[in-house]
Amino acid sequence: MSSISFFRPANTSEACELLAKPNYLAVAGGTDLIVKLRNGLFPNAVALVDISALPFKSIRKEGDRLIIGSGCTMSAVISNPEVNEYFPVLVKAASTVGATQIRNAATLGGNVANASPAGDTIPALFALEAEVMIVGQTGKRKVAIDEFFTGPGRSVLKAGEIIEGFALPLRKTAGEFLKLGERRAHAISKINLALSVFNDGQKRYRIAIGSAAPTVLRCKGAEELLEKAGEIDAATLEKAAGFACETAKPISDVRSSKSYRKQMAGVLLKRALKAIL
Amino acid sequence: MENLVKVTFSLNGRQVEAEVLPTMTVLEMIRRNFRLTAAKEGCGKGECGACTVLLNGEPVNSCLKLAASLTASDQVVTVEGLEKDATMQAIQNAFVSEGAVQCGFCIPGMTMTSYKLLQNNPNPDEHQIKQALSGNICRCTGYRKIEAAVKKASETRRNK
Repeated sequence: MSSISFFRPANTSEACELLAKPNYLAVAGGTDLIVKLRNGLFPNAVALVDISALPFKSIRKEGDRLIIGSGCTMSAVISNPEVNEYFPVLVKAASTVGATQIRNAATLGGNVANASPAGDTIPALFALEAEVMIVGQTGKRKVAIDEFFTGPGRSVLKAGEIIEGFALPLRKTAGEFLKLGERRAHAISKINLALSVFNDGQKRYRIAIGSAAPTVLRCKGAEELLEKAGEIDAATLEKAAGFACETAKPISDVRSSKSYRKQMAGVLLKRALKAIL
Repeated sequence: MENLVKVTFSLNGRQVEAEVLPTMTVLEMIRRNFRLTAAKEGCGKGECGACTVLLNGEPVNSCLKLAASLTASDQVVTVEGLEKDATMQAIQNAFVSEGAVQCGFCIPGMTMTSYKLLQNNPNPDEHQIKQALSGNICRCTGYRKIEAAVKKASETRRNK
């Protein structure tokens, strides 16, 4: 481990060039990577590339999008007025990540790049139909968040590419994020759910469930049902919950069981809908 | 071959330099290189908060921060650096008078997080205290007395 090198590139092209090399690891907030490194999960690591000097820390409006830099900490996201005004579901999700000490260091980009099925901000970004803004040696590209993940810990991000930010359609939404864990604070989700509702002439629902499959999943069945239903009564709630349970494809692991997770997908959706109605 | 990285940063108000290994954490550096031993490694993975220090005014887990990442404009503050701070003194006195210190291992972290809480919110209620301290674990499980101590420290500061 002592032969690992350290780089802190000041510009993006230098960072991409370094990260194109095998076993060069990107470090942002470090809250996940350092633990893995110390637990010996990267035995072949050659270098650490600290990307925190890159200009990815702003939150700004660009046309009909709000751009949230990947280097924004959870605390920066939570305290930003625009994010609060437009995307309460993201504020709520980021507020449940770790505890204060973690939220002051962990970044939005890191939470997504880790591609954990239990990453709390990911369902929120799904529900807000975010695009992942990627920069690489040959240029930039955007990938819809629901096409970004390919499995647990895996994504379409290639060697030499960095997430520079997230582009979120700038529209007022109501939203709720719920998670179940061992504790009410500072816990990894057994299952989580993000709900975002907006009006474009008609009431639209966006629902995503995390920690219930190899990647976060949108629950389009429930979304369409709710959009067609108009008024949401008890029967509609039950039907929507049924879709959520059906969407969830969980496994049993150290944190929870398959059957509990499946059932809770529906419970969380009902709770989230009741919270915003 | 050891790849040492030279870092310059502010530690408890003083500009300092250190040579660190790329994988060394801020916690290891402040304990080994600077002999500031208040911050402690409990879990080493950001669960327990015993290593809490202020980085640019905000509490972070120093066990998860790479020392090599620090730059000249970064300010690290440990309990030792708040020795003469009236709020920290009120917190420490309240922890003692309320009997909030059992084995003591978690206390430097508890006081650092409490310090930031009282800076942001001079009159926190019980829920806010619990929430603020949710990243600090006390394995003696003396949470009620710790919460009472934070409440008392906030009263002392407001009545000064």
